[in-house]
Amino acid sequence: MNRDIVIERPLLELKSVTKIFNTDAGDVVALQDVSLTLSKGELIALVGPSGSGKTTLLNIMGALDRPTRGEVWLEDIRIDVLSEQQLVNFRREKFSFVFQDARPLRMLNVLENTLLPFNFFKPRNNSKNIKEEAIKIIKSLGLEHRVYHMPNQLSGGENQRVAIARALITKPSMILADEPTANLDRENRLFVIKTFRRLTEEKGITVVVSTHDLEIANFADRIAYLKDGVLLNINPRIVHPPIILR
Amino acid sequence: MDILSLAIKDIMRRKGKSIYMLIAVVMPVAILSTIISTISNADTSLSNLASKFGFTIMIQPKSISTDRIDQLGVVVDEYISEASIISVKEIIMRILQTDKDPIIMAPRLYIKTEINSKNSRTTSILAGIDFKAELDARPSWNLIEGRWPERDYEAVAGRALARVLKLSSGDYVTINNKGFNIVGIFKEHNSPEDHMVFAFLGTAQQIFGKKGLVSVINLQNVSLDRDERLLRLTIEELNRGIPNIKALSPQQFSTMKYIMLKKTFKFLISIVIATVIISIFSIFNIVTSSLYSRVREIGLLKSAGASWSQLFKLFLYEYLIIGLAGGMVGYSIGILMTYLLDSFLLKIGSGIRINIMLFVVTLFIGILCSLLSSFYPTYKLSKIKITETFRTQWEV
Repeated sequence: MNRDIVIERPLLELKSVTKIFNTDAGDVVALQDVSLTLSKGELIALVGPSGSGKTTLLNIMGALDRPTRGEVWLEDIRIDVLSEQQLVNFRREKFSFVFQDARPLRMLNVLENTLLPFNFFKPRNNSKNIKEEAIKIIKSLGLEHRVYHMPNQLSGGENQRVAIARALITKPSMILADEPTANLDRENRLFVIKTFRRLTEEKGITVVVSTHDLEIANFADRIAYLKDGVLLNINPRIVHPPIILR
Repeated sequence: MDILSLAIKDIMRRKGKSIYMLIAVVMPVAILSTIISTISNADTSLSNLASKFGFTIMIQPKSISTDRIDQLGVVVDEYISEASIISVKEIIMRILQTDKDPIIMAPRLYIKTEINSKNSRTTSILAGIDFKAELDARPSWNLIEGRWPERDYEAVAGRALARVLKLSSGDYVTINNKGFNIVGIFKEHNSPEDHMVFAFLGTAQQIFGKKGLVSVINLQNVSLDRDERLLRLTIEELNRGIPNIKALSPQQFSTMKYIMLKKTFKFLISIVIATVIISIFSIFNIVTSSLYSRVREIGLLKSAGASWSQLFKLFLYEYLIIGLAGGMVGYSIGILMTYLLDSFLLKIGSGIRINIMLFVVTLFIGILCSLLSSFYPTYKLSKIKITETFRTQWEV
């Protein structure tokens, strides 16, 4: 296996990020002095036990939450200081999210769920062929026979693929996936992670996946180990040879 | 697809909760619509009635408690002496200072009683009247079949009553164990008279032991009709000169009824307000529980790029549509209720009347109920952070 170490200009950079939650039981330090850089087209796995801060780190990376201390930069923009509306616009343009339990909307079919973001903002370049593009994405995820099916007609794995299709339709720079394979069988788990792997290589999308599953984590370029909010270790980026799906 | 289409799809998917909420909106709107329609119809019917009387002055017992007014709007179980007719005539002639101008006096005795036909029975009003005087005063009185009574124990029936008892001219009814031949059926006037049976005054007095008593004396005089000042003076003189009677013009009668109606209306409106408040709390609870069970969906929509204001708009659209539908359904139910109340209870004879203004008001009330009760939970949930939607157990 030919693996090279590549140093690139970071897409996302976290500088000494600390996140403290104020709870009734007192302050809880969810992240402590975490520094991390992510490059374009990289697949990163966040691993660690429950409560280690994986989701919090993912939320801060995706501008869903703000750090208590530290800075978050995406390319040349410091995103942790943007206003709420600026963050909404920023997220629409740069990020997509896949959650563990983000089932598609039950009243929409697969195609409509894929196109859901465009109920709220216009597609980039005002693409007229957005429907064709959505169908293409759905087909690429092996759902060609499910385009007009409703979510209750799909399996858990297929629903998660719909979530990925929705994440891809906006052409994001980064996909942040919080335990996307947690409720899936092995076949679907591997399908999801291989899809992410392929997206990083073919489309240059940066994907961050939080997971407990080391088999899944091993598909990543780098694995970041978290414990009690502290980033213990992060492997250097390793470029994998292309993975042939199926 | 846009936010409105999303809202419609969401309503369709949550049929159960949407219908539940719709019912909460429909209730106050239907009650409001029923009350206002009934009051409005009653008011219109009263005005029509007053104008159809064709009488200048109406004389009735001085003190009438509301329970003495039958649902058809006539005085029952309170009487004045028939002898008052002479005193009334004397006072009017003294004021007019001439006997050339005829004074038509039409006394009536109203008796609430059971009327039995061959096929059916009902409780209604037997009106003992002076047919000649009534017909002189009211040329608009017409029969659709038969003829006017010519002798005792002959009667004519109102069209609505004839329908209920399945009567036609030539049929026979019993009233207080006495047989009456129905010799004619009135043309429908859309008034309480449609529900009455009319016989000679003397016959009605005799079979109910009310000799010398009448319920009301209607009076017509052309001079008084033309001169409002003179009419007022006559009414004052009659009220001063004859004890235990109250003289009033049909216009005053209508006004008096109107005041009564307004008082009732105020009471009923307070019921509507209470219902609206209860409904708002019900809808608030339904919306809150519905939205909290949709927290994950909110997270999903936000992560798909929805801003809080777009989410707020989405939910408000849903509740606006439900409010609008509730207003329409509530109005329709109100109209139906008014018709049923009228047919089986009130018998005002008003039928179905579409009131555009009331329709607009009910739509407004429906939307107001829906939006007012959903505004706060919708606003609060729209503002929720995506991270909170996936972190917390919100389901209820």
